Amino acid sequence: MADWTPLGDRAIRFARPERSARAIVHAVRAWPGVVDVVVARGEVAAYFSAAIDRRRARAIDDAIRALASAPDDPAPVHEHVLRARYDGPDLAEVARALAMPVDEVCTRHAAAIYTVETMGFAPGFAYLSGLDPALELPRRATPRTRVASGAIAIAGRQTAVYPFDSPGGWHWIGAVIDAAMFGADGPLLQLGDRVRFARCGVR
Amino acid sequence: MTAASGQLVVVRALGLITVQDLGRPGHMHEAVPPGGALAIERLVAANRAVRNPNGAPAIEVLGQLIVRAVHAVEVATDQHGTRTLAAGEDFTVTSEPNRVAYLALRGGIDAPLVLGGRGALLCAGIGGLVRAGQTFDAADLDAKNAKPAPVHAPNSAIRLVAGPDREAFLPEALERLTSSDYKISPSSNRVGTRLDGPPLLRSDAPEISRPMVIGAIEVPRDGTPIVLGPEHPTTGGYPIIAVVARAELGRLFSIRIGGAVRFTVAATTTPATAETRRRARARR
Repeated sequence: MADWTPLGDRAIRFARPERSARAIVHAVRAWPGVVDVVVARGEVAAYFSAAIDRRRARAIDDAIRALASAPDDPAPVHEHVLRARYDGPDLAEVARALAMPVDEVCTRHAAAIYTVETMGFAPGFAYLSGLDPALELPRRATPRTRVASGAIAIAGRQTAVYPFDSPGGWHWIGAVIDAAMFGADGPLLQLGDRVRFARCGVR
Repeated sequence: MTAASGQLVVVRALGLITVQDLGRPGHMHEAVPPGGALAIERLVAANRAVRNPNGAPAIEVLGQLIVRAVHAVEVATDQHGTRTLAAGEDFTVTSEPNRVAYLALRGGIDAPLVLGGRGALLCAGIGGLVRAGQTFDAADLDAKNAKPAPVHAPNSAIRLVAGPDREAFLPEALERLTSSDYKISPSSNRVGTRLDGPPLLRSDAPEISRPMVIGAIEVPRDGTPIVLGPEHPTTGGYPIIAVVARAELGRLFSIRIGGAVRFTVAATTTPATAETRRRARARR
């Protein structure tokens, strides 16, 4: 049984069906009256151009049920290779906490192929899944007030590249080189994209 | 373009001053918030006064702005209607007695189209703060049949839709929100408007990163309510006790810093519908 709750008078929130964020966004954006969609880890929100009346409310029930078998977005998935320098201010601390040489942290991080799982927190901020389980750490006890744009960071089973200077609670282990994470056309990384880091420089 | 050399030059800019339009919907799945004017109806009123389309880019002033006309030019604000400035004449726009005012230029402010919008989105590095010395050209937007749009700002309570995270609060929290006087905190911006007043106490429910919406009243552990504005993060971990009705956002965001606000829960068909279905299921 589909269920949803109002998120104000022009948006709804519902439990995330077991589909990729990419497939959900593609399907929900095609619903009549929908202008935006946000997919978080456990929930989805759909934003409408007008208030939700009873007729639309009934249609939403059916549409949410249909999401369980929604096809994937036919648009191609992009693959990115981001040149990375592993010299972040938290790198030594991360290595200590994991009881692992610094070099191994870098090697393991650069060996994986990541997928953009969800987007949120800041414009163009992509949560990348696929982190080596050996690199799993809780967030920093005290968040940093400023993490630089281009910073590569890890927390839990995820990694990310900060598109803009911002506060941040993740472990800052490096930086991308020469990559505009947010350009005139919007974010470089999109839902479903595959990402690899190519280790450059001394470390 | 009607003038290449600039029609307005900024003499003085004090506060949070940006070019704004109706925002750039359609990018929230990329974690780009909708942006746009804090008080849409005031943007529309200023634009219509100079026969611009409703959503033409105009200058949003939270503070004070002094501009000088380079050539004779027609401008308007949401509060004071249309003015024709002579070449060299200074014009002051002050958001007082409200929090925000709009300065429209006949034809619209000429600003580049980025991701479907022409306004500043500071959190995404799009556009920037208006500064002294900056010049503005007019675009050539026109709405011949624009009717005046006076702004009605009744002093009644701001309507809310309750929830969706009521379980994350102590039972009396919503009652407290709707029965207390809150004041607009000075530490407010386009990301969020903080409310000074009785704290809204939370239960022990864990913080989960969930989708956010403009107008959501999110509450950190200390209980201080924050109303999300046009530049809000698209996801966040603070629970939402209620969401401001969309039609009320401009009125709420127009209340001056330190000004009082009261809230009331609106009866809307939507929550009733969802609630009715839940009850119907429970009976089955």
